[in-house]
Amino acid sequence: MSDTFESIKTGDEYSFVKEKFTRTDFVRYAGGGGDFNPIHHDQTFAEAAGLPTVFGMGMLTAGILSRVPVEWFGATALKSYGIRFQSRIWPGDTVTFKGVVNKVYDEDGVKHADLDLTATTEKGEVLIKGFSTVRPWSS
Amino acid sequence: MAHINPPGLPVERGKVHEFANSIGAEEPLYHDEVAAKAAGLPSVVAPPTYTSTQAFFGEKNAPNMFKELGLDLRYVLHGGQEFYYERPIFAGDILTAEPGETNITTKEGKRGGSMKMVDTFTNYKNQDGELVLRVKNTLLQTAGVVKE
Repeated sequence: MSDTFESIKTGDEYSFVKEKFTRTDFVRYAGGGGDFNPIHHDQTFAEAAGLPTVFGMGMLTAGILSRVPVEWFGATALKSYGIRFQSRIWPGDTVTFKGVVNKVYDEDGVKHADLDLTATTEKGEVLIKGFSTVRPWSS
Repeated sequence: MAHINPPGLPVERGKVHEFANSIGAEEPLYHDEVAAKAAGLPSVVAPPTYTSTQAFFGEKNAPNMFKELGLDLRYVLHGGQEFYYERPIFAGDILTAEPGETNITTKEGKRGGSMKMVDTFTNYKNQDGELVLRVKNTLLQTAGVVKE
């Protein structure tokens, strides 16, 4: 992963696509993440709140988006990670998770990169805008 | 459901594995302790948003938090979250969340009438008292259902 830091430059990109989110994806995250708000798994509750069906947890898509800096730079490289939710994810959505380097710099002699992150549906709807700063970590 | 919780958030290998699977992460350092130790780490690494599990840990009844903040669960949206890592979090760590200030602001929204924004700040310390993570969380409450 340190090779990634050696060669990284502004404008570099990394992305992957997750096809067709399912209600099972939401329920698996309910178990993994602990979010049992019924609006994410209970059709009756969702309809009573005026929604057509359940929608996914923001932290599910945020968790998947965090894989962009991690797969790109390594599991210990994150100095920060932030997300702002723009829209909700619905069953059937196919989503592209993407990172772009917007700045590369040295801080205390250590190479850092600032990334802009997005999760966008195949219809072009932005679900999340995010950021991350990465650098090689040593204890 | 039984809720007998020890103080703090023990970061456990099995839970890290389950959480990583729930976000589809195949990173070996989340799942494989042998790989983690071979990389010079004490154990598997917790994914960046792992501590969001804390929000539901030690709560006898999570919706009470919403009541205390005057929020209606039906209309609450998660606005965003920011994580600032002092160092990675590993299985075996025992984290203690120290709640910081809560800022509540109301503003006029474009679609759902007035919107309430609740920012909460939390610092996580490990078993050695070291600050490992700072988190800012933002909840939004619309005046009614946001139809998109």
